[in-house]
Amino acid sequence: MQPQENVEQFGYRQELRRGVGLTDLVFYGLIFMVPIAPFAIFGPVYKISGGMPVLAYLVGMVAMLFTAASYTQMVRAFPLSGSVYNYAGRGIAPPVGFMTGWAILLDYLLVPSLLYLVASIAMNASVPGVPVWGWLLIFVAVNTVINLRGIRMTITLTKVLITCELVVLGLFVLIGVWALLQGEGQGFSLSPLFNPDTFSWPVIFAAVSVAVLSFLGFDGISMLVEESAGGSAQVGRAMRLALILAGLLFVVQVWVAALLVPDPAGLLASGSESAFYDAAASAGGEWLRHVTSTATAISWGFADTLVAQVAVSRLLYAMARDRQLPSFLAKVSIKHSVPANAILLVSVLSVGIGVWAAQLEDGSGVTLLSSLVNMGGLIAFVVLHLSVIVHYRVRGRSSDLWSHVVMPLIGMAILIFVIVNANILAQRVGLIWLAVGFVVLGVLYARGRRPTLDDGEKAGLTGIRSP
Amino acid sequence: MTRPPLHQELFLIGHDQSGKPLVHQHSMALGLAGAMLLDLALSERVTVEQGRIAVTDPTPVGDAAVDSLVPMLARDRAEREAKFWIKKLAEDAYDRTRQSLVASGVLVIVTRRRMGMLPYTRHQLADIASVVRASAGVRSAVEGWKQPDGRGAALCGLVGALRLEAELYLDQPSARLIERLREIAREHSPVVAAVVELIDDMLGEAAVAVFR
Repeated sequence: MQPQENVEQFGYRQELRRGVGLTDLVFYGLIFMVPIAPFAIFGPVYKISGGMPVLAYLVGMVAMLFTAASYTQMVRAFPLSGSVYNYAGRGIAPPVGFMTGWAILLDYLLVPSLLYLVASIAMNASVPGVPVWGWLLIFVAVNTVINLRGIRMTITLTKVLITCELVVLGLFVLIGVWALLQGEGQGFSLSPLFNPDTFSWPVIFAAVSVAVLSFLGFDGISMLVEESAGGSAQVGRAMRLALILAGLLFVVQVWVAALLVPDPAGLLASGSESAFYDAAASAGGEWLRHVTSTATAISWGFADTLVAQVAVSRLLYAMARDRQLPSFLAKVSIKHSVPANAILLVSVLSVGIGVWAAQLEDGSGVTLLSSLVNMGGLIAFVVLHLSVIVHYRVRGRSSDLWSHVVMPLIGMAILIFVIVNANILAQRVGLIWLAVGFVVLGVLYARGRRPTLDDGEKAGLTGIRSP
Repeated sequence: MTRPPLHQELFLIGHDQSGKPLVHQHSMALGLAGAMLLDLALSERVTVEQGRIAVTDPTPVGDAAVDSLVPMLARDRAEREAKFWIKKLAEDAYDRTRQSLVASGVLVIVTRRRMGMLPYTRHQLADIASVVRASAGVRSAVEGWKQPDGRGAALCGLVGALRLEAELYLDQPSARLIERLREIAREHSPVVAAVVELIDDMLGEAAVAVFR
């Protein structure tokens, strides 16, 4: 099957300005992923991976590269800014698209809570006088006001924020390596990559189920396919580049941090959520703890929530306009040009879920929310791989078995293994969520409102996001 | 007395007396672009059918901002959709409309200082009568005092799409007013209904856009 670089075949014309270049796309993916994302979840990943966070991130990167390959195939087939909901609906069938959208909704609805929680924990590490839930309320209030005022991420702001994050990361790595050379921590070792005493594939895949959170967001690049100066080919390249860049940055920072952990045995037992900041403090002193935790707070609590809020709103708006969610979510404020109802709903959910997660013992809130968010994303990615096989091989009789059968199958197998080894509660909630989705789908059918993708505009609005 | 173009009337309804916009400037720009297109369509210079625009008569309508669009639309070999052109027109619709109102003396440029220090510029109404005249037709149509013509129906639809119903100062619930304004636009003619619906959709999409 020949790739189609033309949106007109789907009943609508190229409309958006094609002006976003490769660098802008990569930067957009990076701001979604957050180059310093491991700062926030290093402790849980270290604990679950048996002290091998580097291996967990490498496996996660490989899994996501396969997923990016499937994205590239589907973006070429359907160059619409619709992402996985759109691709599953068009590549397999509209009801499958609905269920994929429903799966990713779990991810979308929980992601702001997770972002606020992580940012609040980071601020609490710097200013312990204000409890985590107090910071959470502050973050939600400030972001809600920013979002309701219609303040939006711009290409320039994206570059500025990425640069700041990279400066902080560079600072940590330089000081960390210097400290290791001075005999701090455990000295140079391969154990963060491979430790024969703790290694087993289930352990690693369980860690990947949390670590993969740092990679989710590369797929947000597909939302900009209609604005991409180089079309779908450039979007595919940008996804791969962003993933590899982020993967390398993640590997370097968790390797250095793992070697600097003051009490490895204690961290293996507790999985402390402030483990990265503790490692930073042991390398450079308290000031580096504050720099890294403040950078995390700003990256997750402001930069990422700005882009995540847009993505969540797009999904809620599109599904509501398709009459698959309550219609009040499709109403927007013309005065400020924002989806005010969706913003308020997400803020209320964020406060409720965030405060509840902040109260969980042993700081397991981040791990649980990460697992749930990842569950939604991973299920959607499995369907994405399936869409490639169905669209190209089953329907199109493609002879390119490597790209259209083997690679999606490998990608799917890795993701299924990650899902199987994920947090049990996350698996249960994921299954319950899917079951509810089937019920909603049944109700939609019963009421004569079965999902369709006739209106490309609406489907095209449904983008994907992540931290 | 010659009525001002549709986009100028919409601009006047969408600002308070001090020149402050009542809705987001990007939303207003989309509404003004729709008004310019309707100015041409209702003057029978272009047709809007199945989401496409075709120039049928290149004769000027007498408004510089609107007339400058015709050659651009006529040159479009790709026959792009109305939506594309509305986005394109929206890029400078706000400035062009404001300049035309200044040129015709309806708006005056006023420079002031915040706290006696920070200078800012406002485009204020020279005479409030102009905005009263602009909204009078919409009020008459909503209250049923007078059957609206094409321009009146188009203005009703755009006022409804931009949620400017409060500026009509009618003692009716907002939701009922919006519904009535949309109904007037829908019932008048297919072109008014289609362009207003398009603007409504685009306002929603702009609110959830990644970049704007």
